[in-house]
Order: sequence, then structure tokens, then C-alpha cells
Amino acid sequence: MQPAVLQGLRVVDLTRIVAGPYTTRMLADFGAEVIKVQSAKMATGIESNTAPYFCAWNRNKRSITLDMDHHEAREIFLKLVEISDIVVENFSPRVMSNWDLGYATLKKSNERLIMLSMSGTGQKGPWKDFVAYGPTLQSLAGLTYLTSYSQEAPMGFGYAYADMVSGLYGAISILAALEHRDRCGQGQYIDLSEYETTCTTIGPALIDAGFNHHQIVPKGNDAANRPAAPYGCYKCSGGDRWCVIAVFTEDEWQSLCGLLGNPAWSKANQFSSLAGRIRHKEILDGHMAEWTAGQTAEKLVDDLQQAGIAAAVVQNAEDLANDPQLAASNFFTSLNHPVLGEIKTDTYPVRFKNGRPAAWKASPMLGEANQYVFEELLGMKKATIQSYIEQGIIA
Amino acid sequence: MELSAKRYGFLDGLRILDLADEKASFCTKLLADMGARVIKVEQPGGDASRNIGPFFKTTSRLKTSIPFFYSNTNKLSITLDLEQDEGKSLFLKLVPYTDVIVETFDPGDLKRMGLDFKALNRHNPKLILASVTGFGQNGPRRNFKTSDMIASAYGGQMYVCGSASAPPLKSCDDQPYYAASLFATTAILLAWRNRANTGTGEHIDISLQASVTATLEHVMLRYFAEDIIFRRQQSLHWNGGFVVLPCKDGFMHVSLFQKWQTLIEWLSTEGMAEDLADEKWLDEDYRRQHLGHVITVLKKWTRTHTIDEIFELAQLMRFPWAPVRSPNEVLHSPQLKARQFFMEQEYAASGKRKTVRYPGSPYKTSSKIAARINPAPTPGEHNEMIYRRELGLSEKNLKRLYDRNVI
Repeated sequence: MQPAVLQGLRVVDLTRIVAGPYTTRMLADFGAEVIKVQSAKMATGIESNTAPYFCAWNRNKRSITLDMDHHEAREIFLKLVEISDIVVENFSPRVMSNWDLGYATLKKSNERLIMLSMSGTGQKGPWKDFVAYGPTLQSLAGLTYLTSYSQEAPMGFGYAYADMVSGLYGAISILAALEHRDRCGQGQYIDLSEYETTCTTIGPALIDAGFNHHQIVPKGNDAANRPAAPYGCYKCSGGDRWCVIAVFTEDEWQSLCGLLGNPAWSKANQFSSLAGRIRHKEILDGHMAEWTAGQTAEKLVDDLQQAGIAAAVVQNAEDLANDPQLAASNFFTSLNHPVLGEIKTDTYPVRFKNGRPAAWKASPMLGEANQYVFEELLGMKKATIQSYIEQGIIA
Repeated sequence: MELSAKRYGFLDGLRILDLADEKASFCTKLLADMGARVIKVEQPGGDASRNIGPFFKTTSRLKTSIPFFYSNTNKLSITLDLEQDEGKSLFLKLVPYTDVIVETFDPGDLKRMGLDFKALNRHNPKLILASVTGFGQNGPRRNFKTSDMIASAYGGQMYVCGSASAPPLKSCDDQPYYAASLFATTAILLAWRNRANTGTGEHIDISLQASVTATLEHVMLRYFAEDIIFRRQQSLHWNGGFVVLPCKDGFMHVSLFQKWQTLIEWLSTEGMAEDLADEKWLDEDYRRQHLGHVITVLKKWTRTHTIDEIFELAQLMRFPWAPVRSPNEVLHSPQLKARQFFMEQEYAASGKRKTVRYPGSPYKTSSKIAARINPAPTPGEHNEMIYRRELGLSEKNLKRLYDRNVI
């Protein structure tokens, strides 16, 4: 595959924080020209161009500055939309219409435009103005409740998973709309709800609750849908080191007993069938924990996998950074940032057999593409640009 | 306009053979829901993923898997034994009429069956093959066994979820399969576009582990930028900015640092701010250092309220707060109802018809394209249609294949 398969597409990017920028990052990774519209007023905190958070989600993009509160900035923006293919925004629903830059307006500048609005709960409905971050959405959609040891103490994710899921759906919706446009010439407006994207990842639990009329409870680390025992997360030697083990079949159980050295307890009648092992899982887990506690997670898991048993090391950030499996596909790469120097970052995680690695760039500095966009693309005069800068329009 | 009215979705015309089990059925479901024609190729008797619970509770002895139902809407199904030579050659007859194959065999299995990318390419040089496996096609762990929990652990998700005083916690409900399916969908659409430009096919390699690691949001970037190995800290999110607090009738996920003065005014009007109204608490760093006390005071306040008393009022003041909802409660969300998010299908259970509600598309589009709403197929439901009408097999031939258990 050509690394720049999306070359020739221009994206106007009004997104902030993570879900939206993650969508446009995928487009930029594959060669689309993504022009991020920033302003000095807004580019602060984690949206500052030298914040690691900003750098992570905005690689391969260009940056221009426009203070949209100025009428002239709006006019320039519309000119840019005219020569672009895609607009992506993740403001609260009222923001674009307050600027009179809703889809109906943008469409007048560009009939073939694809516009994606990503918001917490969608552009319509009684909750449309609700403020939603990753943790909010995960709680609202049922993921926090379900990712818990018990109903009494909700835990949830230690990160904004909902934003990543939403970012992926954003990219899917745009790629599908492009496919449609290529064949029918039709532009598109897409109203994406991050609440709904998050709900799609627990579809079976929602169906189960509705159809079977019973209260769904969090399953913690228990084998949820496929009977297994031993099954769970076990402490290994060293500090906060853990492994997971999943034994489904009789063959796997026999292999495990072999690894354990066929201790007397493993021959007990109560463990002679999967049903028995599940019934007495607390006792079984006690034996397992005793066995795992004295060994390193890495050695243990290698032995288990060699014996044909599903097992894994519970890897932390440092493990991942040094993981030979991820390294084998060059999962992490380094980019050279004009101010921060070398930045390590993950790549798009999929590999293409016939694909060459693309030449990637670090995230842009504020307004680094002002000259390119305003002068080269839009043909504005140097003097006009200078005057707009002085008036705080290009700022 | 005329043209789009006749189409079933943005991807109408895309032809897919689905050899995926639970790891990537959701990918082909997304493509099918968007209009692609997806034929699920199942072993005679049905795919093993049909045995994964939970199941629809009916009086029938036939168990119907809910995850299978959800991840296979709008697909067709044929049965075929790929291990038999006749099954293989029948499969290869379908390949020229296929744009994309999605498969989840262990690395090397397709080659052993003589159906690897190279072999398939001979039958269709423009074919896109998407392979979803635990660890990818290469690397030291490529032959390791996998499952959702294995991918969660190796991918880095488990270590950062749960409580520091308890074991790392697995994400709910097969999240690695959803993450990998979403990535696979983007990759297929990219390869499809590339094919339109260049006329060449592609073999796409998707790893469950890498898909999990790629969705860790702050975890890796903070390690690279600040040398922080993030550890699980219950509901406190990455920066202690959020926490789950108990109400009279459930739990609320509340933010701790936003609009502090508004929050304290709110508590003060109810006489519950305690010392948090003191000036020193205006300093965000001070609050972070004494997070425990902030949480203690807030908890006393939330305990005096129901979720309804707090939720909408907080949102009116633009606090990003939300109740911790169970799937049962999500079904009654007024927002999801207003947006008609849930799809409905009649499900025939031992004579009685009941309605199944399931999540629909999470986005609305301006092109009003007719949505297809077909239930997940039964095993081999479309054998007749595909083998007889499309491949032109004779009735006699088809019967012979049935008898030999090829289909």
C-alpha cells in the first residue's frame, strides 16, 4: 500500500484534546493534508503546541492561527473550506452555529464537503449540551460499572478509552463517506455521538439486560462468557508484578498439572472436571497463587505458553516500551520536534505487507503553516496578511 | 441523489468473505451495517463463536449466543469445510468475486491449508486479506495463545485499571476484540481506497495486543515524556481529576478540579462546604496534595443526594459529571431514546415473538440511506443462494457436498 494513500485530500481540523485530534491524526498519518486551525487564545495548557499531550495527537499536521471571533477570520475560514475535502470539529454543538459555520453554511462554499461533528452526546436530543470527558462517557455508557471488581465499588478505566474508540469511529465514518462521495459525488454531514460509540462496545451486555430482564453485574477478572478454571490474575515475584492464566480445556488442565509437577492436591476429586474446578475455584486459585508467587511473570508465562496454555504478563508502560513483540513491528517510533527534540510515539498499530513506512513529521508549532495556507493556497497578499496579524485576526 | 436512494449504505458493492471468529466479527459487522455484502464462511454445523455466552433466555433447547447475534447482523452465512480439498476448491471459486477476506486463524494456518495470501492472490490479484491475531504475523510471541484477557494484560490495559491494593483489572466485555475490529475496519477502508488508486491488493496484519496498546491514551506518552509508569488508582483517572462518589441511590463520576469556586458555592448553599471554603483551597496544587480531604467532604455531600438531584443541575453548570450507569439503566437513557440509537428486531423464541434491542450506528449522516436490518444468519442459511444461484452448482452436486459434510 502507498504510505500516503490519502494524499490529495485536504482536512480542516477544528478539533481539540484527544477524540477529534485522534481521528484527524489517522488521516494525517496516511498522507492527508490536515490543517489544524488554532489561535493563541486557545493554544494553552494541554493544547499548547509544546505540551507532550498535544504533540502526541497532532503529528503530521499543519497549523494555522485564526481568531474565529473576528468576522474576517470567518471569511478566510470559508475560503479554506472551499478548497478542502473534509472539516472535522469536536466543539459543543452550539459553537459552530454561533459562528454561523454549521454544515448548511459550509455546504454553500463546498457542495462536496464531508463534515464530521464529534460531540459528547450528539448534535440533537435533551442532553446535547452536556459536557463529557472520557471518564464521563465511560460512566454514562456502562463501562465504568462493568469494569469493576464488584457493584459496590465502581473502578472503570484508568484512561480515556472512550475518546480512542470515538476517534476510531470518526476515521471510519470519514473513510466510508469518502467512498460514497467518490461514487456518487455527494458530500456528507456526520453527527457522531461519543456516548453512542462507547455504548457499541458493550452491545452484548445491553442486549442481555434488555432481552433477558436480569441485572447485569460486573464480572471483574472472572471468566465471563466461556467456562474456564483456573482463570484470573495472579501475583508473581518482584514488586507489582502479575500474570494472567486462562485454562479452558481438559488438555490444558493436564498440561498445567504437568508444569506444576503433578502435586497431590491437583489429583483431588474436586478438581477432576472443569465443572468441579469452577465450583472450587477459590481453593484452586489459592494453590495457583502459591505457585506463581515464587516465580517471575516472564518465566512463568513463557513456560505456560510453551505448554499450550493461554497466559500473559501484565505489562506496564516500561514493559511495553521494551517489549520485543511490539519492537518486532516497530510499534514505537521517534519524531524530531523543532523545540522538544526527539519525541517517542506509538504508530498506527496495523501493518501492511506491501506498505512502506511513511515519512512522518512531529506536531507543528503554532501557525507554522500561516504563510503556506494564507499566501500560497488562498492567494492572500502579504500586506493583507500583515494587517490581519496586527488586528489579531490571524493570531 | 437518484443513485444514493438505491444504495444500502456507503459501502454498497464491497464484497467480503468473513472467516472471523469473535476476535473480528465486529469488524465485518461494521462493514455489513454500512452496506458491504458480507458472507460468513462457517464450518459445517456453525462457527465455534456461536457457543459463547451469554445466551438468549428462551424455552427452546437451542442456545443462541448474544455476542454472535450482535456481531453478525446483516451478514449472509454459508457453511464450508476448508480442511477438505473439495471445500477448499469451492472456497477458491468464491475468491475472484471477493474484494476483502477477514480471517482470524493462527499465523501459519492459512499457509498449511494452502490458502495464504500468495495462494489467494493467484485467484484474485486485487484481493485484500485482513488477518486479526493475538500478536500479529511476526515477532517472538506470534504463536502464543490469546484471549481477551491475554490481550488486555500484554497490551498494558490491565495494569492501569483497578485498585492498587488488588490485582490488576481486566476491561469489561472483550474490549481488545472491539479495539482490533475498529482498527481493522480503518485499515480495510484505507486498503480499499489504495486499491482504487493503484489496482493492487494488500495483506493487512492486525494484532490484538498492539490494538490495546494503541488505545491507552495518556499511558505511553507520559512514560516517554515524563518517565511515569502509571499505576492503577481506582476511579481517579490519570491525574486525580475525577472520582466516583456514592449518592443515595447509586454512584456519580465527578470532576475534582473544574469550576472549583462554583462547586464550593454549591456546597455552601447547602451548608456542606466545611473548610473547603477557606482561601487556601483555591490553590489547585494544594488541593491535589490534599486530595483525600477534598474527597471526604464531597462524599458527605453527595451521600445526602440522589443522582437525579445532582446530575442535571451539575451539567447545567457545565460540570462534566455523570452517573455510573449499569447496562440496564443505559437502556432507559432519554438521550439515546431521543436519537433513536437502539435498533429493534423481532426474535422468534419458541413460538413467541420478542423484541431484541441492540446498539445501532453511533453516528447519523445527512444522506438518508436505507439501513439494512437483518438478523445474524443461521449456519448455512444462504448455501442455496450462494452455491446454487451464484456459483451455479447443480442440485445433485450440492446434495453430494452436503452428504460428504463439505458444506
